[in-house]
Amino acid sequence: MPIIVNLDVMMAKRKMSLNELSEKVGLTLSNLSILKTGKAKAVRFSTLELICEVLDCQPGDILEYIDEKKKPL
Amino acid sequence: MSKTNNFVFWCLYVIAWIIFVGLSIEAGGLIVNFFFSLYKPEFVQNLYQKLDLTEMYKASKLAFFGIYSFILIISILKACLLYIIIRLMHTMNLSKPYNTFVARQISKICYYTISIGILSYIAVQFTKNLMHHGFVPNDLDRFWADSEACIFMGAVIYIIGTIFKKGVDIQNENDLTI
Repeated sequence: MPIIVNLDVMMAKRKMSLNELSEKVGLTLSNLSILKTGKAKAVRFSTLELICEVLDCQPGDILEYIDEKKKPL
Repeated sequence: MSKTNNFVFWCLYVIAWIIFVGLSIEAGGLIVNFFFSLYKPEFVQNLYQKLDLTEMYKASKLAFFGIYSFILIISILKACLLYIIIRLMHTMNLSKPYNTFVARQISKICYYTISIGILSYIAVQFTKNLMHHGFVPNDLDRFWADSEACIFMGAVIYIIGTIFKKGVDIQNENDLTI
């Protein structure tokens, strides 16, 4: 999928563990793991809002679009 | 799920088991009949359903094996169909039925039903054709399923299966929405 989730990068920048984020956002660890590993098919605006609020960032910091055709080999 | 529905489901499960056992006995009995008609035809009168086609065997082996193939394949397919239904009912979680296993089982039920219907139709035509050629097969109608009903039922199950597959896709997407 051309949409990349950079949640782990933002977590590392904020020095926050998955457990801590899970507690603060109110999502289960398994759901956060699905999101982090890029297996998620969709993200609710409410979830994105909470993550941005907790990590103090913009949606663009978490989500990134990479054109697979232009992607260097 | 309501208690009534649960009760109906369990009743159907028990009925499916009873039918499966009956059909398995029938298929097994017919297989035994087949071998006895080949190697010990005089003993067939004592066997299940007394299906004696020895006269046909003497007249034409092709007709004999043709008719017996249809009888055996249809009876085995019926038993397999009930086995799939039992497996589906046994494994299915009524509170969360939308998964790929159930969708696959429904597709299998559809294919088996249509196969039984088509084979029964061909078998009926084959028997009619044999009558034209002078063979008088004894009461064989009881071995054929109602072909039109089976094909119609298969088509209905196919539509339900397609809708179910879409439901599974939606469920998967919903599960992966965070």
